[in-house]
Amino acid sequence: MSKPVLQLEKLSKTYTLGKRTVPALSNLNLTVTSGEFVAIMGPSGSGKTTLLNVIGCIDKPTNGRILIDGVDVTDMPENELYKIRRDKMGFVFQTFNLLPYLNARENVELPMEGRIQSKSERRKRASELLAMVGLSGREEHRPQKLSAGEQQRVAIARALANNPAIILADEPTGNLDTQNKQGIIKLLANLNVTQGTTIIMVTHDGEAAHHTERMLLLRDGKIIKEKRGTHAMKKNHTCPSCGVPIKLSDDKCPSCQKPIYSNDEVF
Amino acid sequence: MRNISRRKTRALLVIIALGFSLAILVSIPAGVLANQQAASRITNNLGNTITQTEQALNQTLNQITCSIASGFGGFGFNGGSGSGTTRTGGFGGSGSSGSGGYGGFGGYGGFGGGSVAGQFGAGAFGGGQSNPMNETLYRDINTSISGVAAVEPTLQVSEGTNQTVSFYGRSFTRMVPQYIIEGVPLTSDLVNNYPILPTDIVSGNNLQAGESGDVLLSENNSAYFGVSVGSTVSILGTNFNVVGIYSPTGVEDTEMLYMNLSDAQALTNNAGYITSLKVFAVTTGDVSSVSSAISALHPELTVSTNQNELSQLEANQPSSAVALTDAQNSLAATNSTAIEEIIVVVVATSLIVLFVMLYTVRERTKEIGTLKAIGFSNTSVMSQFMLEGVLLSAIAGVVGIAIGVLAAPTLTSLLQITTAISRAAGFRAGAAAISVAVSPELILIGLGVAILLGALGSLYPAWRAAKIKPAEAMKYE
Repeated sequence: MSKPVLQLEKLSKTYTLGKRTVPALSNLNLTVTSGEFVAIMGPSGSGKTTLLNVIGCIDKPTNGRILIDGVDVTDMPENELYKIRRDKMGFVFQTFNLLPYLNARENVELPMEGRIQSKSERRKRASELLAMVGLSGREEHRPQKLSAGEQQRVAIARALANNPAIILADEPTGNLDTQNKQGIIKLLANLNVTQGTTIIMVTHDGEAAHHTERMLLLRDGKIIKEKRGTHAMKKNHTCPSCGVPIKLSDDKCPSCQKPIYSNDEVF
Repeated sequence: MRNISRRKTRALLVIIALGFSLAILVSIPAGVLANQQAASRITNNLGNTITQTEQALNQTLNQITCSIASGFGGFGFNGGSGSGTTRTGGFGGSGSSGSGGYGGFGGYGGFGGGSVAGQFGAGAFGGGQSNPMNETLYRDINTSISGVAAVEPTLQVSEGTNQTVSFYGRSFTRMVPQYIIEGVPLTSDLVNNYPILPTDIVSGNNLQAGESGDVLLSENNSAYFGVSVGSTVSILGTNFNVVGIYSPTGVEDTEMLYMNLSDAQALTNNAGYITSLKVFAVTTGDVSSVSSAISALHPELTVSTNQNELSQLEANQPSSAVALTDAQNSLAATNSTAIEEIIVVVVATSLIVLFVMLYTVRERTKEIGTLKAIGFSNTSVMSQFMLEGVLLSAIAGVVGIAIGVLAAPTLTSLLQITTAISRAAGFRAGAAAISVAVSPELILIGLGVAILLGALGSLYPAWRAAKIKPAEAMKYE
């Protein structure tokens, strides 16, 4: 039905630490189609961030091929690769990584600088994006004047700036409290549904993962398990244990009393 | 760019640091230039004076000057005082004879160990005070000595104020002349056939034979009295018509005004008296026999010939050549100091920019990684850092030039750029102060150098920034 937006074929990545070579990814195959909401889980050192960096074209694989929107970017030189990052990717980081001396709107405008010549057009689009993530009226605020949740919303607006094919989110909820966490997850899920944006999210957090529709478990650089999640913005959330309908904000199943999103029980 | 306004304190410190180096950078050439001007002034003045005096003496080799010396001629600053001996490294003291005619040359203002213009003035009028002589007593020179073509009796009276000068712990009272009255006999024979009057008339006419009540002023006189050709000037209460203004040929006649001898005698209550006799020999070959004959006839007279003066001048040439060499050597030494300092400053400025920008790049590694992850090219990251470095040093350049313009004299003396010449100048009696000024060209060059150094210093850090791998930068805190 949908075309593949990301294809990873026999992807391997090894790091050299002194004389030892450490495998981070080994022979990994993955296809993500347009409009998917994917969570990548796994213990520390399982290769989650490496995978995300390789997908995001900020790290090169040792072996294998990467196709983004059908284009092979594996051996693309840096002076073309930056355009792929700019036009096809949107990054959301755990620590937000906003530029402290720019206000919210200017931060969102940054990725557009190489693409959209008109300053007023960039301004207009940045304001629209900030409105979309629920930050109308806060355009002129510097990051330190915004809460952590608001900063992450600015970062998401920035990631959306160039209408990317994929949003790559590295622990987007890792630095947020419960309330902000749910807000960000809902925002991502909402964007996925309303804008059709493909989202690949690395997370430690079972609850966050469960609100995606496809959960991948990574271990030793390989995808060892795959599971369907409840999509936070799709109707009919059910308890993964007993199937009783649940609400998004529920921690425990109202029927069987089991915790719905414990990290252990996702897989 | 936004970073400069963001990190105000650091930017300010960097701008001040760079500013000072750039201030030094513009001050040094300004100081060197001032030195060169001072040195060339010294050498030109000395050279001109020697040449002019030589010419004047050569033209008048058939002249013999007779006067009664008062005992202290040639009071030249820093040059041989009184005794007329040439001090080591000094060029002074041909004023020894005290022969009224030349005002004793007064010593060429001591070119001792290198000197400066302006001291000539102080020395030049210091000496040559002669006692009055009864004109009638010496008429026999013209009649009884063979080989005499003409005799020119002159009366020279200095008018001025007395001043006490302390020099090397000794006190001297000297008269600072405002003007010197030179009375010359305006007979048609002397006026038409002998060099008794100045020749370089810059305005009006020279004195004519038989004129009375007229005066010929030097340029300095004209300025002192504030009169020009055609007007009258009051000298010791008597009005004279200014018929002309002449340009002095040497240093000894800059304050001299010429008038008819009888006018001068009447004016100064010296009727029948003169201060010197200038005897013109028929040929230069007659000079020595005529001067011995004069000495024999009037032993009280000091007789000097311009041949003596010339040989004395020539004898002094080597020491003035040494002084010139000294001045040139000290100039060369200053220039090499300046070049060393400029190199140090250029290196220091580039290093400041280099380290500041390296630090900035290090500090902003994560930010650079983020920028690259969200799609900034290497080129745009690099140009952003280059721009920041250039902008920083351009602002510093403006600040530095402002400091340099204000503080160039202080800075150059601190840096030993102008002191060498100041030392050579000895004590500066009337010496024009060395002016260190930053020219507009230097300002533009300074700004250009600042921008260039900014670009140079931020090249490597910017390249480092561009090469940062975003994946690694993300881990960097």
